[in-house]
Amino acid sequence: MTDLYARVEGKVGNITFNFEHSFKSKGITVLYGPNGAGKSTIISAIAGFSKNLKTTITYKNVDFESTNKVPAYKRPFGTMFQNPILFEHLKIKDNLEFAEKRKKFSINSEKIIPKKELIDHLDLVPLLERYPEDLSGGEKLRVVLARTILTKPAYLFLDEPMSEIDIRYKAKLLIFLKMINRKYKIPILYITHSLEEISQIADELILINKGKKIDYGILPEILNNKSFQSLIGKFESSSVLEGTVIASNDLLNITTLDINGQKLIIPGNPASEGNNIRVRIRSRDILVSPIKLTSPVVENELEGLILKVEKENNTAFTEVVIALVDSKTNELAQKIRARVTTYNYQKLNLNENSRVFVYISSVSIDRQAYQSN
Amino acid sequence: MEIYNLLSSDISAIFITLKLALITCFFLAIIGTPLAYYLAFESKRSKSFLEAIVTLPLVLPPTVIGFYLIVFFSPDTSLGKFFIMLTGEQLIFSFYGLVLASIIYSLPFWVQPLQSSFEKIGKDTIRTAYTLGASPLDTFKNIIIPLSKRGFLTSFIISFAHTMGEFGIVLMVGGGIHGKTKVIAISIYDHVEQLSFGKAHFLAAGMLILSFIILLSLFYSNRTRVVGIK
Repeated sequence: MTDLYARVEGKVGNITFNFEHSFKSKGITVLYGPNGAGKSTIISAIAGFSKNLKTTITYKNVDFESTNKVPAYKRPFGTMFQNPILFEHLKIKDNLEFAEKRKKFSINSEKIIPKKELIDHLDLVPLLERYPEDLSGGEKLRVVLARTILTKPAYLFLDEPMSEIDIRYKAKLLIFLKMINRKYKIPILYITHSLEEISQIADELILINKGKKIDYGILPEILNNKSFQSLIGKFESSSVLEGTVIASNDLLNITTLDINGQKLIIPGNPASEGNNIRVRIRSRDILVSPIKLTSPVVENELEGLILKVEKENNTAFTEVVIALVDSKTNELAQKIRARVTTYNYQKLNLNENSRVFVYISSVSIDRQAYQSN
Repeated sequence: MEIYNLLSSDISAIFITLKLALITCFFLAIIGTPLAYYLAFESKRSKSFLEAIVTLPLVLPPTVIGFYLIVFFSPDTSLGKFFIMLTGEQLIFSFYGLVLASIIYSLPFWVQPLQSSFEKIGKDTIRTAYTLGASPLDTFKNIIIPLSKRGFLTSFIISFAHTMGEFGIVLMVGGGIHGKTKVIAISIYDHVEQLSFGKAHFLAAGMLILSFIILLSLFYSNRTRVVGIK
C-alpha cells in the first residue's frame, strides 16, 4: 500500500537530483546517504519547500505540485528540520498549542496520540511553563518532536532528530518513535547518519547518493548489499540479526536470544522473554572457521553456509556473506557478513557453499545496538 | 497679547508636526512593512533594484528630493491632476502633499530596522510555522510580528523622529504655510530669520529634549529584556 509518491529532479548547488520513490504508508523508512547526498532537500521538497526543482508529489492520488499547487501549510505531513526551531516568544506549552490548534490532518482517530501521553513519554511536564531560551539543545528537540506529532501528521518526516540527544536518552526516544509508529500507525521517514539508529529502528532503507536513489529494500537485505557497503566504508561494515529473548540472567547480566533456532548471548538485559531484539554485529568482529572448534573461546557459535564471496582488490580483505542455518528446518535463514583476510580465506580453503562456523564474542556486541521491537 | 499670538502660531506648528509624523508612520506601517518583509526574505537578484530605490532618500540631498517631488506634485502631472480631481485642492503646498513627501523620504527609516529584524527571525522559523499548518498571514500575525516587536518599535521611533525633523523637503514641497504646512523646523527657521532668538529657543529646546527622550527610550528598551524575546 502506498499513498505518497515523490519525484524530485533538477539541480541544487552541484547536486543533480533524479530521485523517485513510492513511500510505504507504514513502518519506518530511513533515508541514508553521505553528507551532501541531498537527503534534506528531498524531505523539504516533499514538505513543500522546493526551489528551482522539478517535483511531482502525489498524496492519495492528489498531485501537490500541479497548477493547483498545495502550499506547505496545507500538506498533511509533520516535518522536523535538521535545525529544530521553537518560537522564542511562546512558552513551551504555547509552542505545543500552536501546532495543536492548527493542523488537523489525520481524520483517522486511531492515528491520533493523546497530548498527555506525548507529554509524559517525552518528559515535557517540567518544561511547559518555560521559554525556549531556557532549554538545552536536547530539551528543545523533544519539544519540537512533540509539537510536530501534535499536528496529527499522515506522515512524519524527521531530519536527523537525534543529533543533539545524549546516548542514554537516545535509546528511549528511539523506542518512543517505534511505539508511535507501531501503535498509532504513523509512517515515519527518517534521515540519519548513524548506523546504530538505522539498526534499531529502520524497517526499510533508501540509499541516496548525489541526488539519486541507489538502492532500496528491507533492512537486513540492504545491509548486505554492496551498494550499502560502499556507502558506509568497510570499517563500519555490519549486519543486523533479529532474535527472540529466550532467557535472561540478571545475575550475570546477559540475555540469550534465539536466532532461527541457534543461540546468541548478548550483554545486558534489554528485554524480557518473548520479545524480539535486533543486534548489530560488525563484520570485522566475526571469526569464520570451516571446522567446529572443540573449545571455542567466545560465547557464541553459529552455523551457516557461505552464500557469496567478495574479494577486494588492493586490500588484504575478503568479505563473505553467510546464511545462518535454521537448526529446526535446516533451511537458510538470516544473513550475516564477515570480514576476513584473503590470506586466511585461502588458507582455510573457504569457498562459496562451504559449511562454516561463525564465532562472535559477546563483548563486541554494542549495547546501543539493540532494542526491543 | 503679542506672546499669546506667537504661542498660538507655534502651537499650530507643533500640532501640525506631530500630526504629520503620526500619519506618516501610519502609512509607513502599511507600505513599509510588506516591503521590509519582501526585502528580508526574497532571494532573487531583482530585489537589489528595489533595495536601492528604497535607500535612495538616505543618500540624496534633501533639495534633490524636494525638487523632484515639486515636479511630480505639480498640477500638470497626472498625479497632481488626480489629486485636484479628488479634493479640489492642489497637491503641492498642501498638508497631504507633505504627508506623501514624508512617506517617501522616511521610507528607508522604516524599512531598514524592520528588514534586519525580519532577517534575524530567519526563513527557517517561517518554514517551521508553515509545517505546523499556519498560513502565511497567520504566521505573520502570530510569529513574525511578536518576534519583531523591537524592530517595529525602532522603525516607528526613528521614522517618527526623522519626519519631525526634516526641513529642506518640507519647505520646498509644503512652502511653510502657517496653519497648514508650517512645521516646527520651519518655525524655528522663521524665528531665526526674524532674529527672534527667544522664540527659536523655545521650539529648538523642545525638539532637542523630545528627540533626546525618544532616543533614550529606544536605547533603554533595547537593553531591557522583553520576556521571551532574545
